[in-house]
Amino acid sequence: MQAGLEARHLTKYYAAIPAIRDVSFTLEPGTILGLLGPNGSGKSTTVSLLTGLREPSAGQVWFDGRNIADGLVEYKARVGYVPEEAHLYTFLSAREHLELIGRLRRLPAPLMARKIATLLDLFGLTGAANQPISGYSKGMKQKVLLIAALLHDPDLLILDEPESGLDLTAGLMLRHLIPILAARGKTIVYSSHVLDHVERLCAEVVVLHRGRIVAEGRVSQLRAMTQRNASLEDVIAQLVTTVDPAGTARDVADVTGLRA
Amino acid sequence: MTPVTPVEDDTAGRLVTHLFLRRLIDNDVISPHADRHESLAVLCALVVSLAVFVTFLISTDYLAAFIQLPGPTALHALSDRFLFIAASIAVSALAALMVWDALALEPRDAAILGPLPIPARTITRAKLAAAVVFGTVFAFALNAVPSVLYPVFLTLNMRGMNGRGILQLIAGHATSVVMAGLVGFFGVLAMRGVLRLMAGERGFRRISSTLQSSLVVCAVTALLLAPTVRPTVVRDWVAGVMPVRWPALPVLWYLGANETLAGHIVAQTPLVPPPRFSFVAFPRQEDDAGRAVYRALAPRFAALAERAWLSVPMVTCLAIVTFLWNNRRLPDQSTSGRVRSRFRASIRRMVERLTDGNPETQAGFFFTWQTLTRSVAHRTIVAIAVAAGSTHLLMALATSGAHRLPVPSVPLGLFAINIMALASLMAGFRYAVTVPADLASNWTIRMAWFGDERGYLAGVKRAASVGLVTVPLLLLLPLHVAVFGSAIAVVHSIFGFLIATATLDGMFLGYRQFPFACSYVPIENPKLLWPVGLATMLLVTYEFADVERWALQTTTRTVGLGLALGAIVLLVKFIDRTRRRERLPVNFDERPAPATQRLGLLERMVNPD
Repeated sequence: MQAGLEARHLTKYYAAIPAIRDVSFTLEPGTILGLLGPNGSGKSTTVSLLTGLREPSAGQVWFDGRNIADGLVEYKARVGYVPEEAHLYTFLSAREHLELIGRLRRLPAPLMARKIATLLDLFGLTGAANQPISGYSKGMKQKVLLIAALLHDPDLLILDEPESGLDLTAGLMLRHLIPILAARGKTIVYSSHVLDHVERLCAEVVVLHRGRIVAEGRVSQLRAMTQRNASLEDVIAQLVTTVDPAGTARDVADVTGLRA
Repeated sequence: MTPVTPVEDDTAGRLVTHLFLRRLIDNDVISPHADRHESLAVLCALVVSLAVFVTFLISTDYLAAFIQLPGPTALHALSDRFLFIAASIAVSALAALMVWDALALEPRDAAILGPLPIPARTITRAKLAAAVVFGTVFAFALNAVPSVLYPVFLTLNMRGMNGRGILQLIAGHATSVVMAGLVGFFGVLAMRGVLRLMAGERGFRRISSTLQSSLVVCAVTALLLAPTVRPTVVRDWVAGVMPVRWPALPVLWYLGANETLAGHIVAQTPLVPPPRFSFVAFPRQEDDAGRAVYRALAPRFAALAERAWLSVPMVTCLAIVTFLWNNRRLPDQSTSGRVRSRFRASIRRMVERLTDGNPETQAGFFFTWQTLTRSVAHRTIVAIAVAAGSTHLLMALATSGAHRLPVPSVPLGLFAINIMALASLMAGFRYAVTVPADLASNWTIRMAWFGDERGYLAGVKRAASVGLVTVPLLLLLPLHVAVFGSAIAVVHSIFGFLIATATLDGMFLGYRQFPFACSYVPIENPKLLWPVGLATMLLVTYEFADVERWALQTTTRTVGLGLALGAIVLLVKFIDRTRRRERLPVNFDERPAPATQRLGLLERMVNPD
């Protein structure tokens, strides 16, 4: 089943402070959208609205032709989400955590057991599967989050900094996995700071700055907006950077070298 | 490259001690998500108001007396001081148990401080210093108010007492209760150290949480039992007339210290009648008798005090030495795994059958079980509930004994053991489900669940039914067999099970939250609700015990009560099912907004429309 995602004029205030304003975009089934922007640009807020974990102050999220607010639970059943921060029940083991998620998602027991065992093995976590998550490294926690997001075969995958802490092999595997899932009709939102990965994976990008969309479209279109043959990094730098990175880098090096 | 100047040991030590202390208060005592100032203010207010309340309650006799006779007062004060000392030991031990994991170097310490140019010994000493400062400040803070108020209240109507005497009493009381508090705190630290030394790092990790919960049960039981010790019993223990039960022994040592330091001042105070009442004949004989009895106890006080003076440095030294030895190296960050055993697998299969193969019910069952046994906050709540039940059990046994008697002659207290233990556990469980297992992680449940809490809640209740109803009933069964005989004991246990099942369903009738996953919202009026709840629990428990004793005298009545209880269980289940037909949205975060947000002024400024 293929399903498209649409954000319509999303606005979110925290107390009185606007986090995002009038964010709109459409995402076709089977495509990967890159969500870009510097720290504090509103990426994580946008992601939390797309997951349905937070309600927008104004605007709507539509999925598969329906406003998600009209059937939030049904929507969540079709979403796989990897959050930016790896908040997990640390007193559970990876297997117990995944079993909790699988049961709440009403997966049949034999299927759940087979999926968990295989995914733990594929992500290299079998040896640590029965240890409490409190002792896991950031990368191991990230793998648990990824498995939990994939367990129920979601139609929409929302990945917020999914490669954070992953080792080289797991990172490479993830970069191969995302296009495969997209090719199988999954809709994927990929939020990241790593522009190189976004450029390689995403057909389309949305660039956020200070809570507003400053550019959106195909990477090639964005390049054309600025100058020919520029990398995505250069494009983003032109769109959202208010300071001179080279100058700031020199200042940092100078301060580092200060002596009493 | 800039030459690295190693941080001076003293400076680094001070900084790291400060860091550990702050983390101990911010993360371990309060919560990383809470406002430290607000929480500390509430905690201090709680300690001070409780101390004033308890001191006032204990002193009502002295405050209401027209004229106090020094001799009887000196004797009566023994049991008051016994209570203050016992409370100081138990509460300080509980404080140590609340920060149990932070009482040793943790992997997070190694992760944060290990890469810095600070010697490992400095980090170890800083951790120890933080624990010592925390324990000492806690012991002083806990006892400060009663140490001043109690001697003042005690001697308020004793006209022969002068200011110097009161100051001496304050100093003596403060010294003995603070010493007791220090022993309570460092006793836990020493016990932890010795067991860690004996079991090794991996072995201790396995037993640590069970040990912590068991000690919480012991400390709370001791705290609850202390007020039940009668004044004459304390006097007899001191005099050696009655053999001392071992948990009371350390309390008597500090009582001896108190009496040696200042307690005798009361007994030596001259009897001075008020100027206009000199004609009244005071019971001088009673006063003299009291003074004589007190004087006779003086050598015993001295002997007990010697042990008190020895115990503080001994326990402290043991705690420090074992701490330094156990933490001589920074801990590694590897974790011990839980091995999947056949036993666990068979339990798992059993649970899967018990939950009818419903995945959400299984999720509720396993998550409840995992949270109650592994989350520190939840384990502590259950341990306190177990302690409350154990206190009643011990009191009932101490009063009635466990002798085989015909049903009509069995004391009501023995009949109430079952139901009181279950009621305490149910109350603790009901409170525990409102405390989130980890609020920051509840997004996993919010994303995964299907919006129907019935299946999950059924699993939660079944977990409670197994762990907090069936297991305690089985543990109490041998005692009931000894008191009632096999047949009546089994019927008594079945009645207990039925009433606990009805209570469990009844407690969740209006519950529309997600257990262990919603934000904690404190009850609005604990001052009223807690005492009323406790009184209701006692009343209902003993009333039911009375009905049960009456019913168990004939077969017809027994069957009748069984059928009535069964009908109640079915009725509550039916009401629950009917009320849950309507699907209501669950609000996962019901925390009240901060005051600035509640006013809503900023929103109006930005969005005037």
